Amino acid sequence: MKKEDAISIGKINHKPRKISKNQRNFIISTVSVITFLVIWELVSYYKVINPLFISSPLSIVEAAATLFVDPAYWNHIGVSAYEFTFGFLLALMIGIPIGIFAGWNQIFNAVINPFVSALYVTPKVALLPIIIIAFGIGITSKIVVVFLMAFFPIVMSAQKAMSTLDQNLIKAARSFTATEFQIFRTIALPSTVPFLLNGIRLGLGQGLIAIVVGEMYASTAGIGYHLTHAGQNLKTAEMFVGVAVIAISGVLLTGIIGLIEKRFSSWKPE
Amino acid sequence: MAESAVQTNPKLRSQFLDVTYVNNKTGHEVVALKNINLTIEEGEFICIVGPSGCGKTTFLNTVIGFIKPSNGSILLDNKKIEGPGRDRSMVFQSPSLLPWRNVLENVMYGVELQKRATPEIKKLAVDYIEMVGLKGFEKHYPHELSGGMQQRVNLARALTVDPSLLLLDEPFSALDAQTREFMQQELLRIWSETKKTSIFITHQIDEAVYLADRVFVFGARPGHLVDDIKIEIDRPRDLKIKRDPHFLKYVDHIWGLIENESSKQGFDS
Repeated sequence: MKKEDAISIGKINHKPRKISKNQRNFIISTVSVITFLVIWELVSYYKVINPLFISSPLSIVEAAATLFVDPAYWNHIGVSAYEFTFGFLLALMIGIPIGIFAGWNQIFNAVINPFVSALYVTPKVALLPIIIIAFGIGITSKIVVVFLMAFFPIVMSAQKAMSTLDQNLIKAARSFTATEFQIFRTIALPSTVPFLLNGIRLGLGQGLIAIVVGEMYASTAGIGYHLTHAGQNLKTAEMFVGVAVIAISGVLLTGIIGLIEKRFSSWKPE
Repeated sequence: MAESAVQTNPKLRSQFLDVTYVNNKTGHEVVALKNINLTIEEGEFICIVGPSGCGKTTFLNTVIGFIKPSNGSILLDNKKIEGPGRDRSMVFQSPSLLPWRNVLENVMYGVELQKRATPEIKKLAVDYIEMVGLKGFEKHYPHELSGGMQQRVNLARALTVDPSLLLLDEPFSALDAQTREFMQQELLRIWSETKKTSIFITHQIDEAVYLADRVFVFGARPGHLVDDIKIEIDRPRDLKIKRDPHFLKYVDHIWGLIENESSKQGFDS
């Protein structure tokens, strides 16, 4: 061993420096995005497509620079963030217990299943007119829409998770005189985590759609509101800033879920 | 009956045991076990063999307390078995380990469910992990272990609750032939260190003869006790004895019994 070490210290490593696959893929992705932006800029600059429709990366950056120093724009972001957070947390707090309980208790499942299955496939935005009538064009109606959109994927995933429990584990637990509650806590709950996070991820995407559509339909503030306005006034660049804000929020939130997932599945095979 | 009860005080006694259950699909009543009478002494290693459908797993499930007898009873230390209890633990055919718990946490699972997880018990768990040959793997997760190692964890978990009766339901059936032989030897070593009364179910006859003090042969439809064979081979037993004529005679004899039972019921199973 010692001898080998000494040799490897003295010599120059002739092997080409290898970068990890992750690094390589990151570089490829970055290049891909940059290429896309450059082509977009050129297409717009040489008016291959009317810049009114597609704007251009530079004008979007420019628009972003002006918007982000404007407190009014931050107000829009704040309103949307508030609506989303409130509605989404509500969906989590109500959806997870209902889903888990439905998966655990067959009778409760039979009671709610018809509604959950039907509403899961219903486009909740179709209810917007009623929601606006009931809750007004303010913040409350958006919270309701976000809640409705995010709620069902979360319920469904929790329910599904509970129905796929490993019966062998339950049998083993019972042999050690486990109570129903112990089985629930030590087997059912940990088993649901991956499914739940998947449902939460789906719910997240739905919630973001809800915000934009809700605000577009009827509102007085918010990113969706500002975005619609910008579009109607042919300020394409400003509209794209709104799109980017939503996209980046989505990516960040999904990233957070990814981190939580990692934390809870550290035991999983790579 | 009366005189044997006075003379001996068996660890486990099954008397006039019938188990009947209703098939979920057909709705018919199935007699799984019929009139099982047997006794097991303290510290004995018992193997149960028999053709499929002979109710050997049903018997074990009745002993652990998953199934209630429809007639008769099973007494453990003179107490009627009414359900799962702290005095018994089971090593399952599938390792049934919690995938999100490491080896030590899995071994502690049984005592944890019984609310007895003290630091002393944890030390005991570590000792058992060492005894089953997994020292150094305490922090590994089940998916990082081979099938044989997972069954060792399963065994350590069952031992850590310190049962007075250890039940093993075909624990090595999913292992490859070599690992299986090795695990048999290991099990005997562990058993000789712990001296736990054990009931081991298998359909491999040489496994039964190699491990057991006595082999119970079950017959099928309904499941009943055909024979109770004392294996008079000295311990400690080396794997080599499996080629010994004395050993093979036992295997042959049991084969004959099972073959006879199988021919009675035809080849439908």
